[in-house]
Amino acid sequence: MKSLDGMKPLLMILPGLALAMFIIGYPIYDLGFTSLQEVSRFGKLLGFVGFDNFREVFSDPLFWASLNRTVIWTVTVVLSTLIISLPIALILNDDFYGRGLARVIIMLPWAVSLTMTAVVWRWALNGRAGLLNATLMNMGLIDEPIEWLAEAQLAFTVEILVGILVSIPFTTTIFLGGLSSLPRDSYEASMVDGATRWDQFRHITLPLMKPFINIAIVLNVIYVFNSLPIIWVMTEGGPANGTDILVTYLYKLAFRFGQLGEAAAISLIMFGFLLLFTIIYVALVMRGERQTDTIEEDE
Amino acid sequence: MAAVTIQNVEKTFGTLKVIHGVNIEVKEHEFVVLVGPSGCGKSTLLRMIAGLETISDGEIVIGEKVVNNVHPRDRDIAMVFQNYALYPHMSIFDNMGFSLKLRKRSKAEIEKKVNEAAGILNLVPFLQREPRQLSGGQRQRVAMGRALVRDAQVFLFDEPLSNLDAKLRVTMRTEIKALHQRLKTTSIYVTHDQIEAMTMADRIVVMNAGRVEQIGAPLELYDHPGNLFVAGFLGSPSMNFIEGHFSRSDGEAVVVTEAGTRLPAPDLADAKEGQAVVFGVRPEHLILGANGVEATVEVVEPTGANIEVFADIGGADICAVFFERHLFEPGEKIGLGWDTGKVHLFDKESGQRI
Amino acid sequence: MSAKLKKSLLYWLMLSPLVVVILFPFGVMFVTAFRPREELFVFPPRWWFSEFRWSNFVEMWEKTNFGQALFNSLYVSIAATALGLLLSIPAAYALSRYRFPGKSAYRTFLLMTQMMSPIVLVLGLFRLMVVLGMVNNLNSLVLTYAAFNMAFTIWMLQSYFSTIPRDLEEAAWIDGATHFKSLIKIFLPLAVPAIAVTSIFSFINGWNEFVLALTMIRSSDDYTLPVQIYSQVAGRYQVEWHHVMAATILATVPVAIVFSWLQKYLIRGMALGAVK
Ligand SMILES: Nc1ncnc2c1ncn2[C@@H]1O[C@H](COP(=O)(O)OP(=O)(O)O)[C@@H](O)[C@H]1O
Ligand SMILES: [Mg+2]
Repeated sequence: MKSLDGMKPLLMILPGLALAMFIIGYPIYDLGFTSLQEVSRFGKLLGFVGFDNFREVFSDPLFWASLNRTVIWTVTVVLSTLIISLPIALILNDDFYGRGLARVIIMLPWAVSLTMTAVVWRWALNGRAGLLNATLMNMGLIDEPIEWLAEAQLAFTVEILVGILVSIPFTTTIFLGGLSSLPRDSYEASMVDGATRWDQFRHITLPLMKPFINIAIVLNVIYVFNSLPIIWVMTEGGPANGTDILVTYLYKLAFRFGQLGEAAAISLIMFGFLLLFTIIYVALVMRGERQTDTIEEDE
Repeated sequence: MAAVTIQNVEKTFGTLKVIHGVNIEVKEHEFVVLVGPSGCGKSTLLRMIAGLETISDGEIVIGEKVVNNVHPRDRDIAMVFQNYALYPHMSIFDNMGFSLKLRKRSKAEIEKKVNEAAGILNLVPFLQREPRQLSGGQRQRVAMGRALVRDAQVFLFDEPLSNLDAKLRVTMRTEIKALHQRLKTTSIYVTHDQIEAMTMADRIVVMNAGRVEQIGAPLELYDHPGNLFVAGFLGSPSMNFIEGHFSRSDGEAVVVTEAGTRLPAPDLADAKEGQAVVFGVRPEHLILGANGVEATVEVVEPTGANIEVFADIGGADICAVFFERHLFEPGEKIGLGWDTGKVHLFDKESGQRI
Repeated sequence: MSAKLKKSLLYWLMLSPLVVVILFPFGVMFVTAFRPREELFVFPPRWWFSEFRWSNFVEMWEKTNFGQALFNSLYVSIAATALGLLLSIPAAYALSRYRFPGKSAYRTFLLMTQMMSPIVLVLGLFRLMVVLGMVNNLNSLVLTYAAFNMAFTIWMLQSYFSTIPRDLEEAAWIDGATHFKSLIKIFLPLAVPAIAVTSIFSFINGWNEFVLALTMIRSSDDYTLPVQIYSQVAGRYQVEWHHVMAATILATVPVAIVFSWLQKYLIRGMALGAVK
């Protein structure tokens, strides 16, 4: 009976673990294998070629351009999102008329799938009849409709803005969770000590929010880095690969151009990067847990 | 109703050993209190009796039966949890009747038993409410009621009063005791509060760091603590301890402190000349008098019923409790005496009573 | 003017640019979905339109095979949620109730898979489905969604399960319940809200997923909604934008309402679990 009791939790986690291992583990293994093979357009493995695929990737200017754009995309979106989200979270955490409505509105972009958002924006930005042009023309800001998505530089900028817009709700949510966990009495104590609201922000809110800001950075980097739908739906990486980031370029290589070996190599490179960030994330979470654990023991 | 025997029981969590070979015999109808500081393993031991923790080594016998591998539901015990563990989604009636329902008793019987228990505990008006609509004290009663309807062999209590305010705690203490006198169900009661232990127990088991320090009736432990730990744990304010060396001079036994102060002590046959000892005397056994040992008053705390005086006696701290009203000034010199028959001597090295 | 009113006005003023940008696409969606086809490409472009064409929705439904895609999306999201929960509930229970060897490694594994995005593995996943002969089969999505969602559902569930005191179950055992009975009578009733919330989030994840559906599903009869709508836009010479927007409204608005309503649970779940 004893030994069976010890097995019970293992039996409970096993089925789920097996599925996850299989569905996530096999592709990783397969990508590793494929990346070292020459592959035909139709997915047939033609033999071991060592690191040829990686060499090809590294000598591909489009890869470097995409990588470059990925960095710009990720850094700009994540940083801007954080900078916008913190004051929004502070506002939404305070009590004011219509706060419930404000919360719902700010969270709306999260409720809509990225695909749908991107489809709507693609239409709203339409160079001929898009309603963004209509709005700007009505306001007298422009005379002629602008072709927002026809030129790579402008299209990429617009995509970054949409990327920021859809990242705000999630980030705000993390910050709200953090703010709600801040100890009220520290604020009361600091008020007695004569702190201004700015002092409170600098010396209480910001330091205590640091773990949440860290988590928000890491999670956002991972999500934004991996985000395909916005760019895919709005421009498919075009015009002329001018808005490709790694995920869209990878997708094209794999499913448009049939360059499976190279695509597998890029997948692995991205996987490595993701792993790195995931490890940072896990370390952050575990550290947070250890801290709360010791607090609980102290009681 | 049944006796409970705990034989050489040990408990290890992973590599951490928290119970080191405990032996306790609880007789039928007895009310035994396990008392000890927080973290000493009381709950763990109680949960092993209940079957909520496996027993790493040794045996637990309830009635005639070794229960080591018996599921809690088959041990015929009832338990009152520290946080009450009321089922939040059931009415008070259903909470109390749940065990009977599981045993497939008839509706009429459940109704009768629950009403009976609710009557005893003054819960009748609340039977249709949900736990969250009750006050802490009422919830505590429901937890008791849930145990009561069962006619279990043994009642187990894990710090049932620790979440109540001081006043309610005293009332409930008396109620539980009265209930036991009426039902005579074998009970094992865990607490860290020595006053609860002293007032409620037929016998007290003092535990420390996973071991039993001493077992006995409350006054027996109070008057004859077997070691320093028990002596210091029971009684409030706690016993004064002063280190020194035992000495017989001029036919009089004394304990000489480091500073050279001579404290009159009982002439115990087992005490050796020059033995390093701890001199123990309870605050209420100190007598104010000119021919006592000189002490300097430091802090005075009147509680109303008595006066607690903290003083310095030859470099050691001592606390005295007086029931007559004196006016003391900090810095004042007073004489403290005692009946040497009320003094306890402990071997310094082993901590055991001499 | 009271201090709170002043503060509220200031806050709304500060939020207003963002509020406008957020509501803008919804406005676009509505005015496009209802306008007559002739008014799609007018010059200069304008918000105003002459009449509410409800028939756009009916037309769209027929022409774009919307019903089939709706059914496919429902099937995939519900089946993936059911499969995921079936596997997650016991795992979450084990995490919140037992100590077992490898527990912390398992938690680390969960956190890692939570971060694994399907896009990086999409080529490998596709090749896996080729091996399994499941390309163009909705069940390939059911399996992958369940697998990729499980880390999130387990994490979410266990953080809620941990708030259900263990001594309730212990009290039930002592009251005479078997493990199974105490699960059914005590634990599950208390866990229902957590399970419901988690399954709704899992459902929404499946409902919104794009990349895998785009990759695994080749025939238009098996498209899920996001792919179906995307296919109305991508690589077409002539896009029927009023149909696309009508479809977007139908696919988006009900889910958005449910999501907004449940969003506070997500905050709580994250405060309890992921972020903590
Ligand atoms: N499930 C457990 N796993 C590991 N250690 C435990 C567990 N339960 C209790 N302990 C440890 O066992 C010791 C005794 O705990 P407990 O019996 O709860 O003490 P008490 O009830 O006397 O305060 C403590 O040090 C505690 O940390
Ligand atoms: Mg305890």
